[in-house]
Amino acid sequence: MTNSSPGAAGPVAGADGHPGEDLLASYAAGAIDEVAAWSVEAHLTACGRCRSALSAHVDAERLAHNRSVLLVRAAIGDGGRLRRVLRRGGLPDHVLGLVAATPSLRRSWLLSVMGVLAVVAGEAAAVRYGWITAGSPGRIPGYPGQNLAPFLLVGPLLVLAGVAAAFLPMFDPACRLAAAAPFSGFVLLLARSVSALAAALVPVAAAAFLLPGPGWLPVALMLPSLTLCAFALAAATVLPPRAAAVMAAILWAVPALLLAVDDVPLLIVQRNAQFGCAAVLCACAVVLLARRDRFEWGWIR
Amino acid sequence: MRPEAGERDDAALLRAVARGDEDALTALYDRHAGWLTVRLTRRCAMPDVVDHAVQDTFLAVWREAGAYRGGGDVAAFIWGIGVRRLIDAIRRDSGSRWRLPWRAAESEAVVSAEDQVLVGIEHGRLGQALAELSPELRGAIEATVLDGLTCAEAAVLLGVAEGTVKSRCHRARVALRAALAEQQAGPDTKAHRREAWGTS
Amino acid sequence: MDQMTLNVRTAVVRVDGLSRRYGATRALDQVDLTLERGITGLLGPNGAGKTTLLSILATVSEPDAGRVSAFGLDPRDAAERVEIRRRLGYLPQELGYHRHFTVAAFLDYVAILKEITDRRRRAEEVARVLAAVGLEDRARSRIRALSGGMRQRLGIAQALLGSPDLLILDEPTAGLDPEQRLRFRELLSGLPGDPVTVLSTHQADDIAAICPQVVVLLQGQVHFAGTPSELAATAAGRAWAAGERDDRAHLSWRGGDNRWRHIGDHPPAGAELVSPTVEDGYLMLSHAAGGR
Repeated sequence: MTNSSPGAAGPVAGADGHPGEDLLASYAAGAIDEVAAWSVEAHLTACGRCRSALSAHVDAERLAHNRSVLLVRAAIGDGGRLRRVLRRGGLPDHVLGLVAATPSLRRSWLLSVMGVLAVVAGEAAAVRYGWITAGSPGRIPGYPGQNLAPFLLVGPLLVLAGVAAAFLPMFDPACRLAAAAPFSGFVLLLARSVSALAAALVPVAAAAFLLPGPGWLPVALMLPSLTLCAFALAAATVLPPRAAAVMAAILWAVPALLLAVDDVPLLIVQRNAQFGCAAVLCACAVVLLARRDRFEWGWIR
Repeated sequence: MRPEAGERDDAALLRAVARGDEDALTALYDRHAGWLTVRLTRRCAMPDVVDHAVQDTFLAVWREAGAYRGGGDVAAFIWGIGVRRLIDAIRRDSGSRWRLPWRAAESEAVVSAEDQVLVGIEHGRLGQALAELSPELRGAIEATVLDGLTCAEAAVLLGVAEGTVKSRCHRARVALRAALAEQQAGPDTKAHRREAWGTS
Repeated sequence: MDQMTLNVRTAVVRVDGLSRRYGATRALDQVDLTLERGITGLLGPNGAGKTTLLSILATVSEPDAGRVSAFGLDPRDAAERVEIRRRLGYLPQELGYHRHFTVAAFLDYVAILKEITDRRRRAEEVARVLAAVGLEDRARSRIRALSGGMRQRLGIAQALLGSPDLLILDEPTAGLDPEQRLRFRELLSGLPGDPVTVLSTHQADDIAAICPQVVVLLQGQVHFAGTPSELAATAAGRAWAAGERDDRAHLSWRGGDNRWRHIGDHPPAGAELVSPTVEDGYLMLSHAAGGR
């Protein structure tokens, strides 16, 4: 017979070696003493039949609720290794979740960017190593035979494209939901744009390092790329978003093409030009911050 | 009452979970969540924290079923994960930000020590000696020896300082040694004849 | 223009003189409306301005003129607008989805947008709405693998996240089969907290079955606001059934029982008066406004 009196470290087994229903019920209710509970637990670790019997004494609704939440959490997942690392590093998980929806962070996008860069860099390398003869555009003093014009044109534009895909409503299928939601439209846009910027700068900078050219090239391109993106965002507070992105693209492409045709040495890397970029960047940042309410209402037509 | 032997045993279910079979996870949950909930509730009275720990446990099983090396019972494997998830949940609930990494291998090694102790209970003498300890000392023994936690983890579970856990364990061991020595010297003087578990 | 007055004191959402143009088209023209707790149906043909009105109520679009007040809050003020959005659930007419997302991941995303920052609480909310719309088994499916009806249910589910006080659903029954419409009706009538629910449709039988209040919107103007039976009553004495078609009637069509149904002032020969349905009232109004 079972003996479940509290306070006694007594026998806890029935005749067949398993705790009886009463004992399991008392254990489930927390109504037996510790040492008897330890015995029950030791038995449960080895006996599936009694584990099932014990489950009958647990609130079924509670088990069902935990089960459905468990399955949802398993379905949502934890976002992958990068997200886990970033989360441990202190970034709030919900911001990471929002950023994960950005199209310019998807593998397909990044692969296309790398593909374009490979073509452009390949062409510059071909010129450098004499496999094809170049015209004289993009000439740098001290580096004869370099053809960097295509890369200078394309690099910052790729970064701009990544950021445009991050903030333009046309690239967000659920943009109306984001517009109707309390989460700040400006913070959302900024988080996505910054991550797209970082994601795009990595391959562009890597390509700039690998290109046979001056070593300062990657660094010199950072500021113009940043400025271009800041300009597009600031313009989006005044113009319709698509027009703002296109305008930024044209403002970079036209001078780059003209300079290449006119055979002027790389203008953008000179100190004055860099300072000019920095000034424009600051101005755009100020405009963006001052007019950030524009992203909160009526931005989606 | 559900049948104990389903189509697959626990080890097969765990292998299926490692392959990404969600139905196997559900089956494993249905078999083990009940006793896990009760056993965790005995260590922590807050139902929300226990619910989170149970969810976290099966999520960890879902993600890291591949780490199960087949040594030791599946239930013990789950318990090893469960008790550590409970510690994490308690820490989160009390606002602490430090997280404990989960170590799979260690939990299996500790389980066998637990088995050894509990075999002693089955035969009654150790059980009686344990029953004579005060509740705080028993709690410290349960956390460090039975559940296999470190002193730091046990401190979180019991809600006391780590030094307190260490001193309680020490006092508990001293008391147990004394009680067992007493029993050894004169089993008849205590005049307790305990029946075996029914397994001898 | 016939407008019934509702009890303004219990009104939770009020609209005054709302107007909106898109280029030369006047999508909304001086719309005045009060919405109470419970379900209100917005009935009107395509192009009547329903979507525009709903997107203004959902604080997504700005009106050109007029005022909106929801729970005493004005969307023109930034802080109050965020407060309205905290109590809002919105299903837009053509909701796009990130097609590579799974169902659960998409709902998790929307839950973050609704400011549920804690991961576990989000999972509980997602589990709750999935159960409410019957998509629990599909939590791991990719959205591109769902049928149209399932996608619509997913849209309704995301609107329910956070138990909103103001639920705005643009054509929620489009793409649902009759059994799913029945489940949808049950779902709407059992929502916690008795929110203000506005749903738009161009089908009168949805209104008759679900909505205690109905607003008829034609060419950007409100032509009726009241109960469905009052709407049906506007066609009282003017709905007929006969064996043949009559060209003098305003509208004439062959009904399901193989008889011709007419709406008009002059009874055709041999016709008998029938009691009007909601659809009859709606068609009557629609014809009177010159819409058909």
